[in-house]
Amino acid sequence: MGKLVRRDFIKTFALLGGTTVFLTLLPRLSNIERIVAYKEALKEGKPLNPLLEPGNILYSVCQQCNTQCGIKVKLLDGIVAKIEGNPYSPWTLHPHIDYYTPLIEATKIDGALCPKGQAGIQTQYDPYRVVKVLKRAGKRGENKWISISFEQAIDEIVNGGYLFKHVAEEENRYVPGLKELWALRDPKLSSEMSNDVKNIWEGKMNVNEFKSKWKDHLHVLIDPDHPDLGPKNNQVVVMWGRLKGGRSDFIHRFFGDSFGTINRHGHTTVCQGSLYFACKAMSEQYIVDPKTKVGKWEKGEKFYWQADQENSEFIIFVGASPFEGNYGPTNRTFGITDGLVSGKVKIAVIDPRFSKTASKAWKWIPIKPGTEGAFALAMIRWIIENRKYDERYLSNANKAAAKEDGEPTWTNATWLVKIVDGKPEKFLRASELGIGGDQFVVLTKEGPKAFEPYDEDEVVEGELFVDTEIKGYRVKSALRILYESSSSKSLKEWAEICEVNPRDIVELADEFTKHGKKAAADIHRGVSQHTNGFYNVTCWMNLNLLIGNFDWKGGMIKASTYSIMGGKKGQPFDLSKMHPAKMTPFGISIIRHEVKYEETTIFDGYPAKRQWYPLSSDVYQEILPSIGDEYPYPIKVLFLYMGTPVYSLPAGHTNIPILMDTNRLPLFIAIDITIGTTSLYADYIFPDLSYLERWEFAGSHPNIAPKVQPIRQPVVEPMVEKVKVFGKEMPLSLEALLLKLAEKLGLPGFGKDGFGKGQDFLSMDDYYIRMVANVAMEDEPVPNANDEEVKLFLESRKHLSPAIFDPERWRSILGDDLWRKVVFVLNRGGRFEDYYKAYPEGELVKNKYGRLINMYQEKTSTTKDAITGVKYPGFALYISSPRDVSGKEIKDDGYNLITYRTITMTKSRTITNYWLLSLEPENYLLINKKDAEALGLKQGDAVKITSATNPEGIWDLGNGVKKPMIGKVKIVEGIKPGVIAFSLGYGHWATGAKDTIIDGVQIKGDERREKGIHANAAMRIDPIIKNTCLTDIPGGSAVFYDTKVKILKVTT
Amino acid sequence: MEISRREFVSKAFKSSLYQITNFPEEDLSLRKEDPLIRMQRELERALEKPREQRKWVMVIDLRKCVGCKACTIACVAENSLPPGVAYRPVIEEEIGTYPNVTRRFIPRPCMQCDNPPCVPVCPVKATWKREDGIVVIDYDTCIGCRYCIVACPYNARYFDFGEHYTEKTPKLMNYEKRKFFEYGEEWERKGEESPIGNARKCHFCIHRIENGELPACVTTCIGRATYFGDVKDPNTLVSQLISKPNVVRLKEEFGTEPKVYYLL
Repeated sequence: MGKLVRRDFIKTFALLGGTTVFLTLLPRLSNIERIVAYKEALKEGKPLNPLLEPGNILYSVCQQCNTQCGIKVKLLDGIVAKIEGNPYSPWTLHPHIDYYTPLIEATKIDGALCPKGQAGIQTQYDPYRVVKVLKRAGKRGENKWISISFEQAIDEIVNGGYLFKHVAEEENRYVPGLKELWALRDPKLSSEMSNDVKNIWEGKMNVNEFKSKWKDHLHVLIDPDHPDLGPKNNQVVVMWGRLKGGRSDFIHRFFGDSFGTINRHGHTTVCQGSLYFACKAMSEQYIVDPKTKVGKWEKGEKFYWQADQENSEFIIFVGASPFEGNYGPTNRTFGITDGLVSGKVKIAVIDPRFSKTASKAWKWIPIKPGTEGAFALAMIRWIIENRKYDERYLSNANKAAAKEDGEPTWTNATWLVKIVDGKPEKFLRASELGIGGDQFVVLTKEGPKAFEPYDEDEVVEGELFVDTEIKGYRVKSALRILYESSSSKSLKEWAEICEVNPRDIVELADEFTKHGKKAAADIHRGVSQHTNGFYNVTCWMNLNLLIGNFDWKGGMIKASTYSIMGGKKGQPFDLSKMHPAKMTPFGISIIRHEVKYEETTIFDGYPAKRQWYPLSSDVYQEILPSIGDEYPYPIKVLFLYMGTPVYSLPAGHTNIPILMDTNRLPLFIAIDITIGTTSLYADYIFPDLSYLERWEFAGSHPNIAPKVQPIRQPVVEPMVEKVKVFGKEMPLSLEALLLKLAEKLGLPGFGKDGFGKGQDFLSMDDYYIRMVANVAMEDEPVPNANDEEVKLFLESRKHLSPAIFDPERWRSILGDDLWRKVVFVLNRGGRFEDYYKAYPEGELVKNKYGRLINMYQEKTSTTKDAITGVKYPGFALYISSPRDVSGKEIKDDGYNLITYRTITMTKSRTITNYWLLSLEPENYLLINKKDAEALGLKQGDAVKITSATNPEGIWDLGNGVKKPMIGKVKIVEGIKPGVIAFSLGYGHWATGAKDTIIDGVQIKGDERREKGIHANAAMRIDPIIKNTCLTDIPGGSAVFYDTKVKILKVTT
Repeated sequence: MEISRREFVSKAFKSSLYQITNFPEEDLSLRKEDPLIRMQRELERALEKPREQRKWVMVIDLRKCVGCKACTIACVAENSLPPGVAYRPVIEEEIGTYPNVTRRFIPRPCMQCDNPPCVPVCPVKATWKREDGIVVIDYDTCIGCRYCIVACPYNARYFDFGEHYTEKTPKLMNYEKRKFFEYGEEWERKGEESPIGNARKCHFCIHRIENGELPACVTTCIGRATYFGDVKDPNTLVSQLISKPNVVRLKEEFGTEPKVYYLL
């Protein structure tokens, strides 16, 4: 940029592509001496390579996708030169190196990393990164901006006012500020009102009683006649895409604990929501209140299990491709390829597309999309009828019985369920037979037997296939109900539904039951993202239950992490309690989750205006349309963090008119690293830090056996503008935004004494460094870093400014001892349990789930649907898809559209990586050769995609801009005829793809980012809820794979 | 950094890795070990010998290659390769007819031929085969005539046209202008200076291996399909693998004697 002229400078100064000032940061120590030394060494035959100097190496965590592999970042003059896998991390080596390995020893050992991880440099140095705060200068979505000061932006957002006077037709539009929406500020009052709202729902209080009790405070409520809508604070919504620990806790602390809004929603349902929520239903535990002696199903975990690919002998991957996605590929691939070649493992792949995983499979089964549950039931039928299930495991009714057999988990397979009008309902209780209280009942040879599920002393086992009547109660065992569901069709009929060969079902079932506990069915989005996703998942997890493989090496395992929030023995900072005035957010959320419609004051018969989600949360596709419908109440301010619902959601285009409606959504603030495909519609964009510039605690995945906490930490000086918050300099970021808003509002829990007396919360690392200390101290504390390691810690961070790296302040917060432990952890990019500790002697993994797993879901079976008023089934069954929100079948014609992940793309965020684009400059529509011939298509022909709800085949981006859904066909043999597929990640209309006007100057877009097809807008809109994609009701999944499309050849 | 390795490994820090990397070949424990760790140990052993006593080969197990192309991109990043240059592409093909289908992925680095067709055609002797088996290019001597590019039967050589990935964006970014260390020397792609205007190719990451680090494509391989080591040492993983019956080399009929082996 030596020839920089003023015009060029103005042209781009709000984007990274113009921020010369930030790029000229020099390291504090010169490299010249070192290079001279190397030149000397070279003469003696040793080649030059400064990237191998320990002082140029830092460990952190990748975020090019959500697998979050450990990375080793090699720097040169403060610039990221190369990224490798972190050898301390179980993601990148198998086994990973011992955690106590001295840092210097790890210098030359690199772990594996996928191509996206390698290309992260281009996410960091994207010339289209935003570096200053942008404010909208045209209509929403027009992509016209002015850059403004951080202080001005904060002032406007806090105080509100006529903020868009400069935009035509918005001269008189008043925008409410956060100040007025922070209506309820008293934590005690919020807690008491919250309790009374619960009392209303439980029928213990009526609205009039509530109103008279709280008559002096009704003004804080959205609607005093409906107190259960909660306080006005709820009219502020924060939603996010990719969010991990640390930042997640920051957001919840700000918006929940301090500001007090219930509306904090993630994106789970656009990923694999129904997988999470079906497993949550299966992991609900029966907790008996010690006072009332009455139990309740609670503590279900929003989580799931995956196969232990390191030790398995047979894995069925269903709608899952660990070599491309599936919480792989870096961490999962080697365990499988190694086993395949040594003959230890065999895999089968059930997927309409011939994935890269299928290329190594013993069997590829191209199933009809949406019939995955039917396939599992067919296998279940065969396994039961051929008595190949683990009878010993399934007979165990309680913990004592499981313990006796050396089983960490047990099921309710034998528990008796009451059958009412032919339908399974609640479990039979001992009290109903007069043989006890709120206990469950199994049938034994001696007759009905009451028992406690968690009793560790009295072994209770039950009959497996009960169908009888006891004292007038018609009852069946849970396993009997499962068997009847699986035998509702013959194998041949199931095979016809799935459009597969019945022999394949038998061969898979036979193989699955030949390996004891060392077999697993590993499922992912292909199973969950249908309108029947919840039940598909339930079917497959029930199949795993039949062999009782949970917590066994080679079976199904779960994630284990070191806690960052503290509160466990030995941890120094109990951060969730370190808040001087913690609010209790309450009320119905905008997505109506974890609340029963019929209990609320807005119950108005069936159908409800929109669907409710009593069994799921983070229902991403429901947030913006509910704001659009103002149901159950209007929203005033929306914060969007690292997400692009418009691009990512099926039929995401339906969100655009809502985002553009300044009446329904008065203020929209985005935190993003570029002007993205959704932040394009924002009123303000706050630049964020890249994944290489910030903190985060990445957690783990269900296929990782060791207990871990990978830690993302700043490895390069942030490219964004620096600002002052609480008197300290810090880079523009999510954290700077929230801290400054807290400072301006005077929000408790931040600033001086923010963590309590004498413990300030002035900058982001005040929070994060305490979290690292908690990680260091859990279980057996880590060793102290010795002097050499401390020296290396400082040397390798020499290029970081105090705004991001402030070791003396950290040391003063922690004290020297804890400080050295923190250094030890950060030097290794987190904490990772050793491989042989996670896989001890014997056949069980160390980190166990170790509880009851519900074959029959009583809680589900007692939950009503808000549209139909009918209760959900509580057992594994096949329901055809697609269906609308009322459960009515949808019958469209055309090719079944599905999506997939290529390993080189992660949805919305890797289009900026030109190295990856060089491998595949655009995506394509995969189509079977037979179908292509029938349509007269040749390789590479351009086609347009249309559907019943998008007959034009376009993205209507607003403001008269339309982007047709046109892509090239790739004709292959490896896809089921009648199905077409496109990979996610291409075809952008922002993120640098289009021309942008900032401060009146046009910045040219890069057409490489526009290429390819993104056909989400063709995906089916619900015929009843007309602004939302199809949804799986109990599980909340946004439906990706149930749309029929037409293919039209176009000439380009 | 002036920390010597010996000083650093204090008694308190006697690590298992240290033990792993030094355990004797006859160790009979059944503990798993990542092949990267074994190859790392073998690399360190090979470096103890003079250069002429080692011979580098690469073995690619196609049964383990999942076509992820991490190797392609790792190499681009490591060697600061411009648009149009990829030392190690992965070729994909689909075989069969629905539903009896498979896909094959074939990584294709420079074969480091013992009889390299690219060498004799160079008019200025800018490319030759070293005693350790690596075919190198001297960028300072190369005149960019591209005869070698045509001569290579594997299409393993590329021409650096001086392009950059970010040149048409608001700014040519610094990472594309960074120093890099092919052949253990310092390079920067600017103006018309080498290696712009030169032939370029895979060199088994000499600047990494001679400093005790495995080639970038080897370490990044998520399927552990790529093996690297000294074939003059009979106890290395590569020596053992190339004695298996399922070994093939590409275009052997050309008499090129490639030193990249494939396992089928």
